Amino acid sequence: MLLEIIFREICHNVLSLRLHISLILTLLIFGVGTAAFVRNYSGEREEYNRWKVEFIEKNRKLAESSLTRLAVGRQNLILTPRANAFITDARGKYLPNRFEFSGYNVFGFSVRPGGANPYLSAFEELNWMFIIAIIISFAVFLFTFDTISGEKELRTLSQTLANPVPRGTLLFGKYLSVILTTLLMLVPGIGLSLIILLVTGTVAITTETILEITGFLFIAALFVICIASFGLLSSVISRSSKVSLLIALTIWLFFVVIVPNTAVFWTQSLFPVQSVESVQSKIQQAFLDLEKNAPDGSWSSSGNNPFLPQHELRANHQTNRMNSQMNIMNAFYNEMFRQFEQARMLTIFSPVSVFEYLSEAVTGGGYVRFQKVWRDLHAWQTQLLAYFKEVDAKDPASPHWYNPYEYFSTTRKGANYGEVPVFKEKAPTFRDRFSSAWPYLLITVLYTAVAFFLSFVLFLRYDVR
Amino acid sequence: MIISIALKEFYNNLVSARFAIGFLLCLVLVPLTLIVSINDYKGKLREYESQKKEAENSLQVRVYSKLHPEVVRPLKPLSIFTRGVSYNVGSKVKILLGEKPMLSSGGSLVRENPFLNAFFSMDFITILAITLSLLALLFTYDSCSGEREQGTLKLVFSNSLGRAKFLLGKVIGVCLTLLPITLFCYLLAALVIILSPQVSFSVMEWISIGVLFVVSIIFFGLCMMVGLFISCRLRSSVTSIIVCLFIWVLFLFILPNLSTYAARSFINVSSREKLDLALQEIDSEFNSKCDQHQKSMEEPPYGMWYWNYWGGEYGDYEEAGSPDLVMKYHWQLNQFTEPLRIDYADKKWPLQKSYLEELDRQRKFAERLSLLSPSEIFRLAASTLCGTDVSAHYSFLERTREYREEFIDFFKNKKIFESYQYFTRQPPENLMTLDEIIRVRSGGLVNNQQELSEWQRLNKDGFSVLFKVDIPGSHNEDYEPLDLSDMPKFNWQQGTIAGNLKKCLDKIGMLVSAGVLLFFLSFVSFVRYDVR
Repeated sequence: MLLEIIFREICHNVLSLRLHISLILTLLIFGVGTAAFVRNYSGEREEYNRWKVEFIEKNRKLAESSLTRLAVGRQNLILTPRANAFITDARGKYLPNRFEFSGYNVFGFSVRPGGANPYLSAFEELNWMFIIAIIISFAVFLFTFDTISGEKELRTLSQTLANPVPRGTLLFGKYLSVILTTLLMLVPGIGLSLIILLVTGTVAITTETILEITGFLFIAALFVICIASFGLLSSVISRSSKVSLLIALTIWLFFVVIVPNTAVFWTQSLFPVQSVESVQSKIQQAFLDLEKNAPDGSWSSSGNNPFLPQHELRANHQTNRMNSQMNIMNAFYNEMFRQFEQARMLTIFSPVSVFEYLSEAVTGGGYVRFQKVWRDLHAWQTQLLAYFKEVDAKDPASPHWYNPYEYFSTTRKGANYGEVPVFKEKAPTFRDRFSSAWPYLLITVLYTAVAFFLSFVLFLRYDVR
Repeated sequence: MIISIALKEFYNNLVSARFAIGFLLCLVLVPLTLIVSINDYKGKLREYESQKKEAENSLQVRVYSKLHPEVVRPLKPLSIFTRGVSYNVGSKVKILLGEKPMLSSGGSLVRENPFLNAFFSMDFITILAITLSLLALLFTYDSCSGEREQGTLKLVFSNSLGRAKFLLGKVIGVCLTLLPITLFCYLLAALVIILSPQVSFSVMEWISIGVLFVVSIIFFGLCMMVGLFISCRLRSSVTSIIVCLFIWVLFLFILPNLSTYAARSFINVSSREKLDLALQEIDSEFNSKCDQHQKSMEEPPYGMWYWNYWGGEYGDYEEAGSPDLVMKYHWQLNQFTEPLRIDYADKKWPLQKSYLEELDRQRKFAERLSLLSPSEIFRLAASTLCGTDVSAHYSFLERTREYREEFIDFFKNKKIFESYQYFTRQPPENLMTLDEIIRVRSGGLVNNQQELSEWQRLNKDGFSVLFKVDIPGSHNEDYEPLDLSDMPKFNWQQGTIAGNLKKCLDKIGMLVSAGVLLFFLSFVSFVRYDVR
């Protein structure tokens, strides 16, 4: 019986105009989006490679001229363009993606202007996640809004239920058919996208990419199941398909527009962080305190004499300044991370936002990537400093007074750049991704269960006449 | 008869669920969006105040070399309605001798936590476009197909009623329904603004909102025509609504993203880093020319010897307490380097200009593609009316470039580069020789450079002997800031309502023509419509 209902519903859906329009729209956006990604990615890759060559060359020269200059020089690290961004860019362009560091510290992060055009408004890339979150979710609501109320209006529902068909089976059959129809609609789009990627050869499809695609398809299916249960709910709430449609549209607007667009407002109101000005004034105050307590001659220097006794005072003073500044800044950064995570928690009312975070976790982009790089960069900086101190310790011409900003009192010898530890970005591990994904997975399952259960209860009490 | 049909349509809509839900949606969305926008505006206002303070501080300098006036673009209160590009581009420009203003900086982020920029927030106009276009489509999708399905259409036309009259009556009926909702949204917005203590609108701004209301009506008129046309082309109301909703999603959610993403991907703009590198090369050329010139000059006999020197990132510096020959050397050097710095800024400009042209080409591509969507036309027209569009920002930047020229003329007319005041406030007649400085500062313990070196060798010390006696006027901080009352002031005339309206007439024209065309096509389709 269930199979019969599913088959009948799928046949009905396949022949419907809404599927045809959705299919055309989906195919079009998948095609255009992937072509745009290919073009964009090639440009970004080229730009990144150019930057990397310059970065390595600059560091090689620095290291060869003096290892101290490499250790104290402030550098910027930019992130590799993600090959799997055709699945989702995870708002990588809007999140901090440039890191400032030296051998002594990781100072901070910023959003890289790169090729960004300030005259273009913020936009969503037409990747798989966007297509599923916006177009497919909309299509699912359009497939489901009249699945019960529409049949009631046509009076076919009472006829169907006049036969020995349990209501649960009918509802479940309709539900499964919508899910299967949607997934059927997704396959050609994803297929087209993959064909474009393979033909252009821009992205190497590795085992990791295949695993990521599989993971994404799993969460996409889960998302479709979740949205279909909300669509079903909108259909059983009302006896009129027009009202069901309005309810479905309101729910969709709530998920896509209201929740994500008000997140910042609620976050800033409920979980404020200190202002940049107050952080700056704290740093200034800390510097003033240090100046007051610094011994005389803490700023004395002589470029020609590394062993000038005041250089030790200067090195200590600069180290104290750096440490006090970084203590304040790190506390501020942690506040920022916390606030961002709280903002995300406020958007979990929308399965669309939850799906976005799940996609980010599966592809290892966005915030998951940021956190991984932030941690790894700190670990690497410690290694670099240890290497620098080891080389410096062997130099009798160095007084070994470590100054984080200047070259007065540490080795002036060069080093072989090949021996200097180099930072290599590692993709987030499965553990990183899973620990980020599991709460969102649970939430999606919970929403699906609640919406379907409510639909079932309401359908049991539904007046089919 | 038209009025009867219109009134019937109006009453029908009034009691329908779509009116109730639509009204409720507006009641929730409009105030919420405005509160969010006002919150963002408050953040911007705080930032503007702090930038203004910084701009005032930028004039508190003691020497002209350190004078880099900052100009800040005034914040538009109408950005609460539509942000345009105003929140993306920054609003501060530093006037420098060595570079023409290219892009404004500072405050391009509304949020102090950069992570929060990953959350987009829509402005009032976008939300209005989303909700009211949806309502316009929901009220019109079944105008013909719905009546045909109910069988009322053939009954109506069994009377002596012209199809044109019927169609016109329907349009007026929907207008009567939508007009109060639109008016309600604007009144609600006005109420929220009046109740917000941080926001105050001038009369001009209220008039602009009035014009915006009229443009909104035109936009909703067009959306109605889309719904009407689809309804006249299709025989089933379910098919009509499905087509209408897909068109809605295409116009509101897909095309705006598609146009920007396509522009970003297919129209190349070289990276900012690449431009900065090219500019750095020109700067290096400038520096090497300065070095060459420096080598050709006669250096002070005892080498460079500074007392109180404060350098800056733009090649600026301020000094006091240095020996007379060092000061004279710098005075001579400036007369060569500073006019050359201005020449090199002109050399950099073609590169900067070509980068700006690339940005503009990309923007124009995105804008032209987005014109396929009526909601984007509406949004662009609204941002022009509110003065938050790109052209308003371009005019501000152009004015800053003119102001830089005025600033340079001021320097040239006052012969600042030929003055000691360019880098020091110590009067030239009070300058001392190096030996005099050493003698006075050491309290007579050492009398010249040779004795100082000997003292340093014997005592294994640096310069502590020179801190025994202070020389008045040898510190930069000993002097008051410059009197800059004769310096040209920056002023920028923002667009007037009439000027802004003129700028967006083409877009309003597009909305009106598309509406008229669709009404004509609807009429033609309806004349041939099978009412059975």
